[in-house]
Amino acid sequence: MSKLFKLLALFLSIGLVASACGSDSADDVTSTTAAPTTEAAETTTTAVELSQGGSLLDVVIERGSVNCGVGATAVAFSVIQPDGTSAGFDADYCRVIAAAVLGDATAVTFIPLTSSERFTAVQTGQVDLLMRTTTWTQSRDTDLGMDFGPTTYFDGQQLMARISDGFSGSSDIADLEGTIICVNAGTTTEKNITEATLLQGVNITLQTFEGSDEVYDSFISGACDVTTTDGSALVGRMAKHEKIGEWVIFPATPISKEPLGPVYPQNDSVWGDVINWSVYATVIADEYGINSSNVDDFLAEPGEIGRLLGTDEGELQTVMGLPADAFYQVIKQVGNYSDIYNSNLNPVGLFREGSANAPAADGGLIYAPPMR
Amino acid sequence: MTEIQSSAGVPVIAAPPQEPHLPPKEWLKKNLFSNVGNTLITIMTSVVILSLANGLLGFAFGSERQWNAVAVNSRLYMSFAYPEAQYNRIWFSFATLLVLAGLSMAIWRGGTRMPFARLAKSAYSFGVGLAIMVWLAPLSTSGTVKWEIAAGGLLLAGFIFNRIAAQDEERSLSSLTLLVGTLASIIATLWFIPYGRHSFIGDRIPQVVSEPGTVAFSTKLPWTIMLFVLVGAYYLGIVLRDRLPERRTRSVLMGFWLISPIFLIYLVLRDPAFTMNHVLYTDIPLVLGFLVVGSLILYALTKPSLGEIGRIIAMLILLAGFGSFLTPMRMIIRIFLIALGLFSLAAPTFSGDKSTRRRYSSIWSGFIVIAGWLITAVNTPSTVEVPGDLFFGGATLTLIVAFFTVILSYPLGVLLALARTSNMPIFRLLATTFIEFVRGVPLITILIFFSVMLPLFLPEGMRLPEVTSVTIGYALFSAAYVAENIRGGLQSVTRGQHEAAEAVGMSTSQKTVFIILPQALRMSIPPMVGHTIGTLKETSLLYIIGLFDLLYVGRSVIPNQTAFIGSTRENLLFVSVLYWVISYSMSKASQRIEKRVGLGER
Repeated sequence: MSKLFKLLALFLSIGLVASACGSDSADDVTSTTAAPTTEAAETTTTAVELSQGGSLLDVVIERGSVNCGVGATAVAFSVIQPDGTSAGFDADYCRVIAAAVLGDATAVTFIPLTSSERFTAVQTGQVDLLMRTTTWTQSRDTDLGMDFGPTTYFDGQQLMARISDGFSGSSDIADLEGTIICVNAGTTTEKNITEATLLQGVNITLQTFEGSDEVYDSFISGACDVTTTDGSALVGRMAKHEKIGEWVIFPATPISKEPLGPVYPQNDSVWGDVINWSVYATVIADEYGINSSNVDDFLAEPGEIGRLLGTDEGELQTVMGLPADAFYQVIKQVGNYSDIYNSNLNPVGLFREGSANAPAADGGLIYAPPMR
Repeated sequence: MTEIQSSAGVPVIAAPPQEPHLPPKEWLKKNLFSNVGNTLITIMTSVVILSLANGLLGFAFGSERQWNAVAVNSRLYMSFAYPEAQYNRIWFSFATLLVLAGLSMAIWRGGTRMPFARLAKSAYSFGVGLAIMVWLAPLSTSGTVKWEIAAGGLLLAGFIFNRIAAQDEERSLSSLTLLVGTLASIIATLWFIPYGRHSFIGDRIPQVVSEPGTVAFSTKLPWTIMLFVLVGAYYLGIVLRDRLPERRTRSVLMGFWLISPIFLIYLVLRDPAFTMNHVLYTDIPLVLGFLVVGSLILYALTKPSLGEIGRIIAMLILLAGFGSFLTPMRMIIRIFLIALGLFSLAAPTFSGDKSTRRRYSSIWSGFIVIAGWLITAVNTPSTVEVPGDLFFGGATLTLIVAFFTVILSYPLGVLLALARTSNMPIFRLLATTFIEFVRGVPLITILIFFSVMLPLFLPEGMRLPEVTSVTIGYALFSAAYVAENIRGGLQSVTRGQHEAAEAVGMSTSQKTVFIILPQALRMSIPPMVGHTIGTLKETSLLYIIGLFDLLYVGRSVIPNQTAFIGSTRENLLFVSVLYWVISYSMSKASQRIEKRVGLGER
């Protein structure tokens, strides 16, 4: 009997060790239920406000910063810089929202998310806004408890091959007969190319890899003839490769539609409007040629420019719950659509001219409803 | 060797006969070119080695390599997104660890003395090796000249050392002096060479870009201070060594080593914002109450003549502890109650005269103060604002996960091994089932299970940070392997030891704690070190569940930065060198421990 007691004691000390060292987190959580910390209190008020018709907008204003979900590995869209901050096209749109709501483009808490975590982060309220190269699709919009904002970047899947193999910019899916194609495993990219070749009755050999680096390595080593993914990623890779003249990207019209834009929690139209119109403001400013360096010259202008910059009492913005000069701050601190696009995407070889992301007036798809 | 010679009076085990010292020409003839076959093998092997070195150097120093990607991103590698404004916290933590290291080196009399003859030999071989490597590497002409001059400097140093050795055979240099000298010269280069310019960072949004400069620029002063801290701590240790009782000092230092990482992570790096009212009127009285009452109870329970009543009281306290989960109560009280129950259960093992009993009570007091402080700190929200759940990443995350896994899995492994070798069928069955089940599942499965599935099993509203749940899973996994290593040690303790312990009237637990375990643990040092190194390296699997560990930073984050697209190879090479340095120093340290405990000699 006494032996049993002692061994019981030994075994219970497992629990002691576990509770002493593991308590940090277990205790953390349990005690929040017992004695709510400030953070817990904050979330409860959020829930209360939301149920009473309040908006995420009030929560963000009270918190003083926007929690923005970004990626860590999307070249030129959202990457982590050497000093730990986020940068890129998507990261800049997080700053746009912060400038509009809080008047300070730096009031953003960037939360790097993997592609599998991103939707949970929106649904659980971990992020107020997701800017993570997320394609707007019907199923995501309807199923997942979140809404999509206006598309900020029109991407599409394209293919990349060697000129020496007889490919050119005018090549088509039909030219893929008998080739080996390398793609990332389990992505929509894989599904798209399979669908496209099936439709045209073209025979291809598909090789799938877990990481995108492996895909490019096998393409460079010649293990496959063609590689395919979103056009923006292909251009980024090609720009960095030393044999830049040897590869070509085709077809000119992408084989899939990948509209990328902001994602926010469902059924919060106040917050949704803020995000949508902040994005539109960058587009409208671009249409008038107002950018961060010359915005102060436009302050006296009447009409839509006045309504955009809030000089005409800023009625449109104050109705939304924003400061009158919200969009002035956006343009002053971050810039218009072209500023954001050119500074982030030109370095990797993506240009607006002639692409789907050109202004609507030049035959592109970037278009904003009028401000009035 | 020096260890044995220095302790005069202790019987010295005869050292193996020294190899006669041969001049280089004869050494070559004897070892490499003794006959035709050997000559052939020597030539073929050199060709293979040289071409391998050529390939590796061609890769490492090729003109297309972007080593700037590594240098510029050293911040991401070390602490990931920890805010720059709070860097003093990191330096403070580092300094604390260095002070401990300096004190330990002095108090354990670390370091050996290197005779100048050996130094000369190393300098010669490094010099020749460097000269050959530079010759093989595809460097520019000026680069080749620079490095060949460095190699010549090494050869010259070897020549000088040789002259010193020729004058006086006995002269030697402390290895610590050598270490500090090397560190000092590396740090000195920071003041002159601008490593890692980050001038490429755009200036369109000036607020988010730190001041232009170099990595070396912002770290040279702290690194210099760190060097002085290390040296200062070492001399302080020497002063303390002669004035304090050695055994007590060593155990206090050991305690500091165990406590300091937890202290640094939760109190220094995390910077909790204490609410003074709550701390003063709730936490401190609670801890004090448990301290006083618990000490009294334990002092009473360790009385040798107490008998079975003690066990009943202990079980009652434990029951109260577990029963407290039925009623709403502060978690800290529950944990303290259970801990007190466990301490009371173990009390009979530590019964004895007054000073032993007092010591047991003071161990309880220490435990309750540290635990109370930590739990309070952990429950307080942090003031350091960082992206995401984690305030650390990169090498820090790797080391912290490895540290907690090892710290948690060793005690657990010892208990599992004891249960598996015990003669009580239920415990044996439970331990065997656990060990065999865990060993049958791959680590990746366990990591994914604990990061994805564990939240589903937790009570409503409870959310563990991902890194915590993963560490718990990893520790359970690791414990199964530790248990098997220790079981090997347990079985190597001879039957006679058990019988001798029983003959002097020791109880089962006393026999285990004081006789069997010390011997078994000593025997299992080599496999345990191997396991620890493996644990550290396998933390790279955290990559798969998307935590920003060292490998994730090197493989995915940096190669996607606009300036460094596709710099995967450089970063992977750097990460592997970093892993190698850490693992190799651990295995070197373990060799010293083995020598110290005399493993393989008895």
